[in-house]
Amino acid sequence: MRPLPRAGLASGLVVTALLAAACGSATSKAPAGTLRSAPGFDPVAGTIKVGIISPLTGPVQAVGKPLTAGNEVYFNKVNAKGGIGGRYKIVFEERDSAYVAQQAVQAYNELKTNVVLFGQVLGTASTKALLTGLKADGLVASPASLDADWVREPNLLPIGGPYQIQAINALTWYVTDGGGAGRKICTLAQDDAYGQAGLQGVDFAARKDGFSVTSAKTFAATKGADGAAAIRGLKDAGCQAVFLVSTPSDTGTLLGLAATADFTPQWIGQSPSYSSSLAASPLGDYLSKYFMVASEGTEWGDTSVPGMKDMLADIAQIKPDQQPDLYFIFGYDQARAVVQVLEKAVALGDLSHAGIMAAMEQVGTLTFGGLTGDYPYGKAADRVFPRETTLFKVDPAKPVGLAVVKKGFATDQARQFDIR
Amino acid sequence: MDGLSLFASRRSRNLTLALIVGVAAYPLVVRSELWLTVLLFVGATAIGAVGLNLLTGFTGQVSLGHAFFLGLGAYTACYLGNPTGGAPAGRGLPLFVWLPLAALLPGLVGLVVGPAALRLKGNYLAVVSLGLVFLGAHVFKQWSSVTGGSDGTSVAPSLALGPVDFAGIGGLTRNQSLFFLVWGMVGLTTLGSRNLVRTRPGRAMQAVRDREVAAEVIGVSVARYKLGAFAISSGLAGLSGALYAVVLTYVEPGTWSLALSIQFVAMIIVGGIGTTTGGVLGALFVGGLPEVVRHYSASIPFVARTASERGLSLPQLNQILFGLCIVGFLVLEPRGIAALWARAAHRSGEHRVQARPHPL
Repeated sequence: MRPLPRAGLASGLVVTALLAAACGSATSKAPAGTLRSAPGFDPVAGTIKVGIISPLTGPVQAVGKPLTAGNEVYFNKVNAKGGIGGRYKIVFEERDSAYVAQQAVQAYNELKTNVVLFGQVLGTASTKALLTGLKADGLVASPASLDADWVREPNLLPIGGPYQIQAINALTWYVTDGGGAGRKICTLAQDDAYGQAGLQGVDFAARKDGFSVTSAKTFAATKGADGAAAIRGLKDAGCQAVFLVSTPSDTGTLLGLAATADFTPQWIGQSPSYSSSLAASPLGDYLSKYFMVASEGTEWGDTSVPGMKDMLADIAQIKPDQQPDLYFIFGYDQARAVVQVLEKAVALGDLSHAGIMAAMEQVGTLTFGGLTGDYPYGKAADRVFPRETTLFKVDPAKPVGLAVVKKGFATDQARQFDIR
Repeated sequence: MDGLSLFASRRSRNLTLALIVGVAAYPLVVRSELWLTVLLFVGATAIGAVGLNLLTGFTGQVSLGHAFFLGLGAYTACYLGNPTGGAPAGRGLPLFVWLPLAALLPGLVGLVVGPAALRLKGNYLAVVSLGLVFLGAHVFKQWSSVTGGSDGTSVAPSLALGPVDFAGIGGLTRNQSLFFLVWGMVGLTTLGSRNLVRTRPGRAMQAVRDREVAAEVIGVSVARYKLGAFAISSGLAGLSGALYAVVLTYVEPGTWSLALSIQFVAMIIVGGIGTTTGGVLGALFVGGLPEVVRHYSASIPFVARTASERGLSLPQLNQILFGLCIVGFLVLEPRGIAALWARAAHRSGEHRVQARPHPL
């Protein structure tokens, strides 16, 4: 029997497969509505697609999951009221980055032609890796991190006071009202861009407040267990206060190491260093004695703040099983910013990527009902980032395990800090 | 012993040609940016995997230092190719300068550290090469005028080669254009590696791998071939790191970790140790599987799709599958996907070969 010409068959198959795959991507027709369709916006179906790239698994999921849940609850609340402009429902496309820049880039490329904007991108490294693409494609993303670098990027939609501001306010408070004058102040930061942002704030505070950093240690992000030497070094240096730049799982390991080494300085953590699970853990006792968090807003359940009152009402209606969580609040605020920009874009009649950029410049001041500082927008160079910080101490009896020490304050030092 | 010619058979040659046509047509026909990006990362890592296979698969030296050389290549590309105005500032040199140097420099460093490392064998070499990763991590963090320190650096070198700009050829997107650069390099690397192992130096490398004493007795300079393989492997790792950085557009010292080195070892195990195509197939498997699983996760039960859903997460599922595959290949087919491919290609081909005796 004559053998089949298999090589020819194989090449034919390859070509057929390629053609079949190419036919998978369909394009939608232009509608007869008032607004023109755009990537991610379908006026006929009445949907606006928003991309979300977040660590939904891995060591940083303790941040990503509640934060994304916060996004979801706010978007669903808007949808329940009819959607953006009263008629366009928000559809969110979530992708897991596992806190790995490569996965974030893959997710970005998958979604970029299919979304109006990115409602959340979590992780300093991921955001930096996406910036090139965002600029080239003229797309907007809202970073779920508080680096000062984001403020002047026209393609980013940051909210909240930068990490630098948290560090400056917290340390200035510590050396003035917090009883830390003349004490040995040290730092422990994860070894990446997020760590650098916090340390930049510490350096600024040190210059303005006239203290020096006794010892500065670092650890590899998500590998807190390797931080034993750093903890020992800080203890040997006689540190009485340590400013901590980390994410929750590392905080747990590092403070666990400190507790077993009988190392008891005043810890002051950057907002992402804490999660409510820490207060409930066996470390809760140590934390309530020695740990503070520099963040924004108010305690969970403080209904004297209108934003908190609304948020609790939304949770009761949309997601009653949601546990109190700091990151949930951030995600909720972030979605609130995104919705304000989308409303503006609908008002301006253009939901294209360029239209979103224009809407961001014309949106005016983004408001958050007191959950985080109001944020006057405009051209990237004119944005005025909030400079308030709220200091919390750990109190396991409270809903997120946090009680206010000092609410919503901005020091002169923080007012002097500017970007570019 | 077979494998002296470039192709095992006419059939294998035709298959390869079909594959090249398929790869070249891919970015023009399949316009999915997701799959383009996945394959760009796969291509960039495949070059490093082919390099590691030359060292580990063909010369028998286990190295965990691969990530260091990848980082070295990436930072060489950044330093030489990045625009002069950036922070940290680059040199703004063209593609034909920075790309070859991103391979040459790590190759030279491999040549320098090689003699120290290669005095050791097997597991000891693995441990010493591991040291390179930590040493590199320290240097990458401290040398911030080149690497940007812990803050990382953006990667935006010029991608123009004469009239062809791989940042956007004609009306093609950046990813489509880069695809030709990256997979072109994969092709060259694989061809070069195939030519190396089927000729005299390759035979010598394999003799070193199989039994050093015997190799020395028949006149093979063991030290020379070990060192050569180490240098070539380091150079290819550098090239791989440079292209990976270009695709990712931002790198930080944490990228070049031990986990990355181990991932490369996993790639050649799954792809096929001691085979030319093994590195490419392994990179394809390791880089492509998670995306394929995610893409079809809707039809897999017990998998959570949103933050609020309960169930097995995709990375958990991927890790389970990946673990099963590594164990499966080690137990059932130690020569990896490449052997499966070869068996399939040979089964009804012109040259029927005897089934390989089961290793027992």
